[in-house]
Amino acid sequence: MVNFFIFVGIIILILMMVVFYRVLKGPTVMDRLLGVNVIGTKATVLLVVMGVIFERVDMFVDIAIGYGLLNFIASIGAAKYFQHHKVLQPRSQWEEDLTKS
Amino acid sequence: MIWQFDILLLTLVVVCGFVSLWIKDLMGAVIVFGAYSFLMCLVWTGMGAVDVAFTEAAVGAGVSTIFFIATVFHTSRTIRYNKWDLSTKFFSSIICILMGFFLMVAIGDFPAWGDALSPVNNNVAKYYLENSMEETKVPNVVTSVLADYRAFDTMFETGVVFVASLVIFTLLLQSDGRKKLMKSAFQKVSFLNVSESLIIRKACGLMVPFMQLFALYVVVHGHYSPGGGFQGGVILGASLILLSMAYDIKKVFARFHMKFMIKSLAVGVLIFAGIGLICLILGGNFLDYSALSKLFPSMGSIKSRYNAMLWVEVGVALTVMSGMFAIYTSLSSNGKFEEGL
Repeated sequence: MVNFFIFVGIIILILMMVVFYRVLKGPTVMDRLLGVNVIGTKATVLLVVMGVIFERVDMFVDIAIGYGLLNFIASIGAAKYFQHHKVLQPRSQWEEDLTKS
Repeated sequence: MIWQFDILLLTLVVVCGFVSLWIKDLMGAVIVFGAYSFLMCLVWTGMGAVDVAFTEAAVGAGVSTIFFIATVFHTSRTIRYNKWDLSTKFFSSIICILMGFFLMVAIGDFPAWGDALSPVNNNVAKYYLENSMEETKVPNVVTSVLADYRAFDTMFETGVVFVASLVIFTLLLQSDGRKKLMKSAFQKVSFLNVSESLIIRKACGLMVPFMQLFALYVVVHGHYSPGGGFQGGVILGASLILLSMAYDIKKVFARFHMKFMIKSLAVGVLIFAGIGLICLILGGNFLDYSALSKLFPSMGSIKSRYNAMLWVEVGVALTVMSGMFAIYTSLSSNGKFEEGL
């Protein structure tokens, strides 16, 4: 049974790596933000899976709940940021793009 | 510790660290840094250090990202270089590489993870693990070490939070005279007309009570499960931050007044140090809670230690909650305390 959950955890981690490519490459900040959000959700699941592996789910569920509650605050903050500054790319970058085209 | 997880997590953490340094756009770097603290939290959990993981999840993933975003909000988002900067950059990168090299060399001297012969596992840790349950009746040894055996450390950590948030608050606070001057010089024009989102308002309004309830649970239940004053305080502070992001800071200050915030910032440290002082007056050592049984004879030594720990946690939670909120409000409103992020 433990092996099964270790397998589940590895699959989740590999999925995380796939999303991480977007975070790494992401042309705009929005891609990065979404990628980090997905990593956060996967991490919540992984915490519970780890709890099952260690056979102390009651301990790990608390962390997972706290994690889930705080995960989206950063995204709302970033969204508020882009509501005020309506540019996705910093100035130097879009000036570069303009000169290229 | 599961080695398959560790390998995958370590690669992710290292790549994340490099990427957050490499990105020139500061906003992107902040977001990637948030992912870094998510992954660090998973690394701590993998090692079985649940309390540390909880702190990382609350502080690293939740609040510090918001602080960074608020700082970028009021400063520049790009890094500008000139000729002088490049030479200092070269110099500082050499220092960084040397430092990293020395740290790598020093790793060889550390004992292996979980080594039974390492000095960490042989001196005081054994005593705590064997005697904590008998002496304090607290099953979570981390809490009993932090709040009882090593309470001195925790008291000064709370003091550090207190001083840090007070310094940020007073540095950024704009006095009335200066505010008037600024108003006359730059008449504020709200040409953007930012519309508030109904979805965010309603969702945050639904979330906040549950968040605060969970935070109180974390503070009070710290004796039995991971968590305690610090983590609970951060979650409480985060709920206030969420509220002030959904509405604005003025509206939150109408309920949770600024003067009250500063007072509760100080009261938390006062509770902690005051309990220590009462112990001193009653004839024990500073923060030796068993002396409190003289004040309440019905409790006895064990029970008084158990209860004093709870009060200490409440004090820490008060300080951390108002500290986090004070830092957020002064950073995000640039010291004006009117509208935030």
